Amino acid sequence: MQWMHKDLLDIDNLTAQEIEHILQTAVPMKEVLARPIKKLPTLRGKSIALMFYESSTRTRTSFETAAKILGADITNFSVAQSSVSKGESLLDTAKTLQAMNIDLVVIRHTSSGAPEFLAEWLTAGVINGGDGQHAHPTQALLDYFTIKDHLGGFKGKKILIIGDVLHSRVARSNALGLKKLGAEVTFIGPPTLLSPEMKYLGVKISYDLDKELPGADAVMALRLQLERQQSGLVPSIREYNRLYGLTRERIEKTGKPTIVMHPGPMNRGVEIASDLADSVQSVIEEQVTNGVAVRMALIYLMIGGGTANVVD
Amino acid sequence: MLWIKNVRMVDPSQGISAIGDLLVKDGRIAKTGERFSEEDVLAVLGVKKINQVDQVEGQGKYLFPGLIDVHVHLREPGQEDKEDIQSGTRAAVRGGFTSILAMANTKPVVDTRAMVEFVRHQAQRAGKARVYPVAAVTKGFLGQELVEMVDLKDGGAVAFSDDGKGIQSAETMRLSLEYAKLTGCPIISHCEDNNLAGQGVMRKGEASARLGLKGIPASAESVMVARDVLIAGETGGKVHIAHVSTKESVWILRAAKKLGIDVSAEVNPHHLLFTDEDVKLTNASYKVNPPLAGREDQEALLEGLLDGTIDMLATDHAPHTWEEKTRPFAETPFGINALETVLAAVWQELVLKGKMNIEKVVQLWSVNPACRFGLEGGTLRAGTPADLVLFDPAWREIITAESLESKAQNTPFLGKELQGFPIMTWVGGKIVMNRDHN
Repeated sequence: MQWMHKDLLDIDNLTAQEIEHILQTAVPMKEVLARPIKKLPTLRGKSIALMFYESSTRTRTSFETAAKILGADITNFSVAQSSVSKGESLLDTAKTLQAMNIDLVVIRHTSSGAPEFLAEWLTAGVINGGDGQHAHPTQALLDYFTIKDHLGGFKGKKILIIGDVLHSRVARSNALGLKKLGAEVTFIGPPTLLSPEMKYLGVKISYDLDKELPGADAVMALRLQLERQQSGLVPSIREYNRLYGLTRERIEKTGKPTIVMHPGPMNRGVEIASDLADSVQSVIEEQVTNGVAVRMALIYLMIGGGTANVVD
Repeated sequence: MLWIKNVRMVDPSQGISAIGDLLVKDGRIAKTGERFSEEDVLAVLGVKKINQVDQVEGQGKYLFPGLIDVHVHLREPGQEDKEDIQSGTRAAVRGGFTSILAMANTKPVVDTRAMVEFVRHQAQRAGKARVYPVAAVTKGFLGQELVEMVDLKDGGAVAFSDDGKGIQSAETMRLSLEYAKLTGCPIISHCEDNNLAGQGVMRKGEASARLGLKGIPASAESVMVARDVLIAGETGGKVHIAHVSTKESVWILRAAKKLGIDVSAEVNPHHLLFTDEDVKLTNASYKVNPPLAGREDQEALLEGLLDGTIDMLATDHAPHTWEEKTRPFAETPFGINALETVLAAVWQELVLKGKMNIEKVVQLWSVNPACRFGLEGGTLRAGTPADLVLFDPAWREIITAESLESKAQNTPFLGKELQGFPIMTWVGGKIVMNRDHN
């Protein structure tokens, strides 16, 4: 399969077949990750710029690790020390990158649409590393990989996404692809964090976690920003935890060996109990490993020649 | 001396919509009627030879009383990089507007008589459209102390508004509606509840959820419309609701008018032409406040205009620089540059599609604004100033940054072709725009 996209901005641009193709490409990438010597010459001479306008540890290091294993050169564009803090516009920053002949740009930005904006101006490929409340496609891809790894596929699988859906680009991107892959997705959270217009995604909207748990194959807790209490969206962390906090007792209601996911970083004791996060049902650490594999696959497809024939 | 011949004259103020001729003498309309002979013309204008009269052939074209736009941001003083009074009034006459109301949210804001007089003076120097300043309601737009309304009116202000910002304190709004009675001028209300609007950048709904942009609920506007008409009813004040965009606001206005409250309202054509589904993440020229609404709102607005609930069209011409608009959506300012494209867009999308006839357009954009704000114009009646627009329904143009008189280009029509433009505009009998001379 020839890879056709210059950019990866959101999941809605991908077909189910293309998503499966990325996931398949990530399988041998994950094997490479497990080797004692993790280095491929595949992308030697290619340059990748990481532009993170919003703090991130996991996503940025994941991209960096993925690119380095593939042999690409990385430019870490740190906003605090760059011309951005001198008032340079995103457009001028983009033009500067263009002039340096960068092959691929990974951007994270607080403004929804910043990656689209950049992609319009750059001939280089752009990967969205998370923008505002809009999209986080690589997180979604690594979640699909994890789900497929454990559940064998997506058709008819019941997946619950729980918590602050309103502010979550992870929930949005995840649902877009999971629907395409044939899973049943339910968004769960208090009405203040889960607006009815999310139904456009074709997902089920529910305020009652306990009612939805039976039969769930995977549950994904979203991070609750602790500021949400100050802005009046939840009355207290205590009540939030009572209604939506994942615990070992609660997860038993599924009646299945359900997998427990979290995009990180976790608030232990808020949206997820510590013992559950560290239990055998938890795949949270695997998600991180899979994140590197999926990002390797994606970078490889985008600038490495475009076939699934990984060089060993 | 001017003789416009054989033209379809549309003047709802006199119930005229017919082909005929119009004569101008000494800056005023001298006579209108069916075909005049040369002898009639010489007699009416009091001249000996016909070559002393400028003759304009109007076959296939429309002649309107000059359009009056009650909602324009000219940005001078202080933000001349976006627009100034000269460029803004040049854009106005190019768009068919002979009179405009200039909003007060400049830097500094227009809250003193000296500022009002400055705006009028600059407009006279530019010598294009007539500019009527709208003065602030509160000093410095701070929402606290009222401006010297009487002195400002004496300086030339025709209305008061903190447009650009909603007056959050209901008591301040109540006091302003009471005190403005000394002037007879309306308070123009920018209805926006800051708490509900929050950090939103487009209408809250499926489209905002899809784009991941923060939403502004419709209630951010309509609760303020309800508040202001209730206060106007209670105080007997005179209020004009700017840029109505929600169906709930239309319901409230309909009820208020039934109750006899002294309220008028405007709709911006972009709310009739676009919905939130048109908003694109990478094109901030669709970013406007109040934000583009849903299909049902659009239908309610059109119905409100047609049944008289809403009194007028107004552009809310809001120029911004290319640099300001060429950024990620959330970081760009609100506003659409409209003066030069809006009549063509209304012609093409509303008139040609049978949603509104041209007589209604002229009623809403010339007759009613003149009446509500006590301005000259809005009619082709003999003896009134010859503020005229000759409109060619067949004229086509591609909208480009170079072709616009406005300094800004933040229009969703950039690069697109539109049909139906004013080709000549006169203010006080003086020709101020002629498209053939481009």
